[in-house]
Amino acid sequence: MGLIPDFKKIATRSPWIYRINAGSCNGCDVEMATTALIPRYDIERLGCQYCGSPKHADIVLISGPLTVRVKDAVLRMYEEIPDPKVTVAVGVCPISGGIFRESYAVLAPIDQYIPIDVNVPGCPPRPQAIIAGVAKAIEIWRERL
Amino acid sequence: MNFLTIFARNLKQGPQTEAFPLGPAFTPERLRGRIEFNADHCEGCRICERVCPANAIRFAKTPDGMTFDCWHNTCVFCGNCEFYCPTDAIHQTNDWDLSHVNADKFDMVEHGLIPNQKCVECGATALNTAPVIKNAKPPLSAEEYTELRARCPKCRAKYLKNRKVPA
Repeated sequence: MGLIPDFKKIATRSPWIYRINAGSCNGCDVEMATTALIPRYDIERLGCQYCGSPKHADIVLISGPLTVRVKDAVLRMYEEIPDPKVTVAVGVCPISGGIFRESYAVLAPIDQYIPIDVNVPGCPPRPQAIIAGVAKAIEIWRERL
Repeated sequence: MNFLTIFARNLKQGPQTEAFPLGPAFTPERLRGRIEFNADHCEGCRICERVCPANAIRFAKTPDGMTFDCWHNTCVFCGNCEFYCPTDAIHQTNDWDLSHVNADKFDMVEHGLIPNQKCVECGATALNTAPVIKNAKPPLSAEEYTELRARCPKCRAKYLKNRKVPA
């Protein structure tokens, strides 16, 4: 019985990050890749790592205003991520629609379809802002676990 | 022996990784970040509302005066509003840390109010905006400015017309 708390302590150190592009212009995706991949903004200090499969993910970063065409794919992918998951909306597009707001091709804001936990506004946000958002997401994720 | 030089250099320089979030982040002086509004300097021309590509800026008329709202969750930091503002009432700060939990989503807004006032000359209710004095020659003194500001637009025009210009 004593193993489970120990295991929890180890497991809460390293959330894995997954990225969903919901029709983004690629600006925020470049910033997210920058945040993870170059040593200057090393996100692995927080224990995070990008993973290639939604089934391994703990924290989801969503960029883009959720276009009509990509909606089903995004929702299907989101459901594949195991609970407990924390969702971070990166950029102004998923939060409010940004400059694409009120377009017929866009379903923003995204929290009508997917429960969002942390918002990181910006067009695109700075890598440091994304790291701050991920740090907030990790705190929420630790509470849920 | 090249690796030894690199090793020594790396020991001397330390890591290239930024300290944030464990320390302060490097922020350029002129980074285009969060919008700040100063109602005292606002002329009420509403050009910022017009040039905003994302419609983040809204003006609304209320019983107290004219309100200004800039939604940070829609703003794309383009800087059009600051560029076109004739009186420097709107500014972009270099504050970039706008991340927040979803519960605070509708608190991410910059409020401003241009209050109503009674004109000291005719008693009409008008907005207490900054007067347009760019082309006034000679430039207005501080007392003239406060006198002009306390008037309604019509009386302001009259005041400027009847101003005694020293020869």
